Amino acid sequence: MAQFRLQGSKVLAVDMTGDAVKAKNGAMVAYDGQMAFKKMSGGGEGLRGMVTRRLTGEQMAVMEVKGHGTCYFADRASEINLVRLQGEKLFVEAGNLLCTEAALRTGTTFTGLRGASQGNGLFTTTVEGSGQAAITSHGTAVVLRVTKQYPLQVDPGAYIAHTGDLTQHFQSGVNFRSFIGEGSGEAFQIRFEGEGLVYVQPSERNTVGGEV
Amino acid sequence: MPFTALNSRIVEARIGPGQRMFSQRGAMLAYRGEVSFTPNIQGGQGGIGSMIGRRVANEATPLMTVEVPQGINGQGGAPIATVMFGHGGHHVHVVDLTGETLYVEADRLLAFDGSLQQGTMFMGSQGGVMGMVRGQVTGQGLFTTTLKGVGSAAVMAHGGVIELPITPQRPVHVDPQAYVAHRGDVRNKLSTALGWRDMVGRGSGEAFQLELSGQGTVYVQASEEKL
Repeated sequence: MAQFRLQGSKVLAVDMTGDAVKAKNGAMVAYDGQMAFKKMSGGGEGLRGMVTRRLTGEQMAVMEVKGHGTCYFADRASEINLVRLQGEKLFVEAGNLLCTEAALRTGTTFTGLRGASQGNGLFTTTVEGSGQAAITSHGTAVVLRVTKQYPLQVDPGAYIAHTGDLTQHFQSGVNFRSFIGEGSGEAFQIRFEGEGLVYVQPSERNTVGGEV
Repeated sequence: MPFTALNSRIVEARIGPGQRMFSQRGAMLAYRGEVSFTPNIQGGQGGIGSMIGRRVANEATPLMTVEVPQGINGQGGAPIATVMFGHGGHHVHVVDLTGETLYVEADRLLAFDGSLQQGTMFMGSQGGVMGMVRGQVTGQGLFTTTLKGVGSAAVMAHGGVIELPITPQRPVHVDPQAYVAHRGDVRNKLSTALGWRDMVGRGSGEAFQLELSGQGTVYVQASEEKL
């Protein structure tokens, strides 16, 4: 079993004994022991995955890293968060997914308008199964719990991932003021309802919505 | 050892009477006490010969000398001045040397003790033709700066730095873009995993690695961006 651990907050160390992990292309910074790197393609395996990738544009370049030893991953000095999945599904922006255990299945899913407002397209990446995954955030991410009584609104640019049984709606507060250029800059939010966890980073990506 | 990390991006150096240190020009953020900063035309120690060596090797980053002026004495050998260094918002990592040699690119060197012996080394001699290729691939040139002796050096990196030990049983491979510095008795060579997949643009993005073997430590930054 590949063991994930953090070396500092910005470097992921994965101890491997002959098993494999999937990682973002080019994210290896160092390794000891024997490692082999092989390019894969995101969006799931096989022909269906390939077609989905082409259609959705959610094509993350993934490599398979296999070997004995310790492999270190990092991505542009961003903070790394470890997520342990027990059969549930993790929804994450492709750019924020750093590394997963090989046993986890990755795919793409339709996100609707939310994706468009984030400037990330209409699709997002899903990770499913049991095992560990590492996601990156710009600044230390907070994990916010959503329950039936307490829905959560998130800035689309600060959202990075979520798990659990959540429904998401896109809501806008666009009004007359925004049209005349007097908006508060918080015209769009994603509203999460249900039971689950949402990962939010203390930084905002540039989004179409952010300009309003 | 004179460096104290104030946070991940600022280090503070204590300078005692008669001590001297070098820093990248313009990297002083603040200071206390009587300190003089003089541009160091020679780019460090060792006189004109070393200066020419550094110029030729393109390892001549502008430096300044930081010292306490003559005639000022601390009481009981206490530090009489502290200087804070930082540059470009980069992370700063302090390396304490106890007699071994540190290999680092001149432009990553923020500040170092005057007690350390500075030199340049031709890296192309390691690994023959592949050594030449390594310089081209890593964008780090064929020469590197060496610091030897007892003292401290502050090295800059993009993102935090991790230290990985190198032992004869456990060589370490490093992404050339993430490599910061190394120390000790270490050999390095460029290893390739180039296959036909890379040629047709389907590589894993990890086609080249620096292989470091021997006995020592390598410093790796949490990013694949240059400074």
